[in-house]
Amino acid sequence: MTLCFALISIGVIVQSLRWPFKTALFPVIIGSCALILSIVEFSMSLYETTGGRTKKKKQDAMDFKLSEGVDPAVARLRTWTAFGWIIGFFFLIVLFSFNIGIPLFVLLYLKLHGKEKWLISILMTVGAWIFFWGLFIWLLDTPMPQGWLIRGLHAIGIGS
Amino acid sequence: MWDAFIGGLLINLQFNSFLYMLVGCAIGFWVGILPGLGGGTTLALMLPFIYKMSPEEAFPFLLGMHSVVATTGDITSVLFGIPGEATTVATIVDGYPLAKKGEAGRALGAVLMSSLVGALFGASFLAFTIPIVRPLVLAFGSPEMFMLIILGLTCISTLSGHGKRGLMLGLMSGAFGFMISLVGQDRQAGVLRFTFGQLYLWNGLSIIPVMVGLFAIPEIVDLAVRGTAIAGNVQLGKLGKGVREGIKDTFRHFWLTVRCSIIGSLIGILPGLGGGVAQWVSYAHATQSAKTEEERANFGKGDIRGVLGPGAANNSKEGAGLIPTVAFGIPAGSGMAILMGAFFLLGLVPGPDMLTKHLKLTYSMVWTIAISNVIIVAVCLLFINRLAKLTTIRGNLMIPIVLLLCFIGAYTSNNDIADLIVLMVFGGIGYFMVKYRFPRPPFILGFILGKLAETYLYSSATRYGAAWLLRPKVLIILAIAVAFAVYPFIQKRFRKEVLSEPDKI
Repeated sequence: MTLCFALISIGVIVQSLRWPFKTALFPVIIGSCALILSIVEFSMSLYETTGGRTKKKKQDAMDFKLSEGVDPAVARLRTWTAFGWIIGFFFLIVLFSFNIGIPLFVLLYLKLHGKEKWLISILMTVGAWIFFWGLFIWLLDTPMPQGWLIRGLHAIGIGS
Repeated sequence: MWDAFIGGLLINLQFNSFLYMLVGCAIGFWVGILPGLGGGTTLALMLPFIYKMSPEEAFPFLLGMHSVVATTGDITSVLFGIPGEATTVATIVDGYPLAKKGEAGRALGAVLMSSLVGALFGASFLAFTIPIVRPLVLAFGSPEMFMLIILGLTCISTLSGHGKRGLMLGLMSGAFGFMISLVGQDRQAGVLRFTFGQLYLWNGLSIIPVMVGLFAIPEIVDLAVRGTAIAGNVQLGKLGKGVREGIKDTFRHFWLTVRCSIIGSLIGILPGLGGGVAQWVSYAHATQSAKTEEERANFGKGDIRGVLGPGAANNSKEGAGLIPTVAFGIPAGSGMAILMGAFFLLGLVPGPDMLTKHLKLTYSMVWTIAISNVIIVAVCLLFINRLAKLTTIRGNLMIPIVLLLCFIGAYTSNNDIADLIVLMVFGGIGYFMVKYRFPRPPFILGFILGKLAETYLYSSATRYGAAWLLRPKVLIILAIAVAFAVYPFIQKRFRKEVLSEPDKI
């Protein structure tokens, strides 16, 4: 991760050198600071892992930590599944728009992943759709994009 | 002045004004809770409704909404780890771990009470400092403002972890946030930076999808991995008792709450900085109140002081933010800039007139902030048990709803589908940051303040050359930043020396 960071910093500095002074000032300063920090951090972690002093306990960030009570293989599978559902939700919205994508996602998630009963799944699906439609469509009149599939169907003359 | 002070209260107690204030509070309650619906945006949406109102009705309506948003924004930060507002991110650091430990009631009680104390302090600050604040606001130029941003970043980087590595990772995270803020057109020359030919990126990345993705997605993924409720399998216990405990915590650490309110007010006065810096500086101060290394290590894992500090600061800054807005016509933040639009719509001009001819109206704003926060905290405390019980609902039921809120919140910031892609990308980045122990708070602070920092740096360099680095106020703020960074090491070394000499214990 530190190496990635260093590479990004180098990219920022290199790109910035092509810009005029007023545009490049801040990126060059920040990129340089970031590069120095990542080199130092990389050196420190390299020193700790290759010998010298005894290994220190991994530094705890004062931030949320991923749960550790789950078997790593199970955790990895659940993580990929969770990201899969998130990306799937995005595609449902892109294909069907929010109006259909939201209830479809809620229903599919509760039934396929959560294995919830039909009653709870349907109630939550309806509730989610009412909340979305009531607040964002009816009250706030938020413009929502048409889904690609819906647009395609309209283009070939089905529904309008 | 005393007449105006009472006159302001009487304005708010008129039937129409009070009713509009209640409506504003109700709107603010939901706006704060829902991520993506920002206080500033809602303020803009409410402006058309004030055309037919008198100033005595319009300001309670608008300020009633805006001043409670930070209070209710803390609720989602605590319960779900999703920042309801950009100014409630710091509350997540200790508030959400408390919820996961089954102490959601305590965290909510503490954050609501500290928010109320902060709001009342901010309102009082506004009331009593209006006549004397002018030299303070005018004393801070671009160099000082830039250094204040660096101070805020240093504070939060210091807290990001323990030891040298913690500080290093925090600063790297902050620098990364600054780099991400570079995307888009630069303010100085209009050159497109890192837009990769995408029109969407010309305006830079929007804060809501970045913030929601960075903080909410990793939490959602972790909830899915755990397969439990937010509060895990911990018995929630008597929530009412937890809430009372949280309220008592506010008074147990009363002076900390007051100090953080002062920090919020002092930073809130300065145009442009606002909640972004105030919440983190106050959080930093709260951690400094830890007496031992073990106590300090508890921050980030559910220390109640980590909830009290930001809760107080992000409310006290609201009252203070009105000072430059009302008195000088310099908006303290984007919300205040929109509020200035309201001034002109109502035929008022922010400036000396507001402190002379319309002083009663100015004081009615003070009373609006105070009364609306009292009302909203009282209402929240009535429903707090129900709110806290949300943390016991099965993860499988919560995840689709929370994801729905994240996606809608991200989309409604700009009504652009590309914001959902940003949400997911930063969700991934946030996950890896958490996995590899890169702290997220410095990143978000760097991201929020990056463009502002660049503007101040450029103005300073253009106007003063390198001499801006030697200005007395700049050096003082730099010294404070360095002190913040080295203080934990000095404290640790001092304790080691004391422990190694048993006679001294």
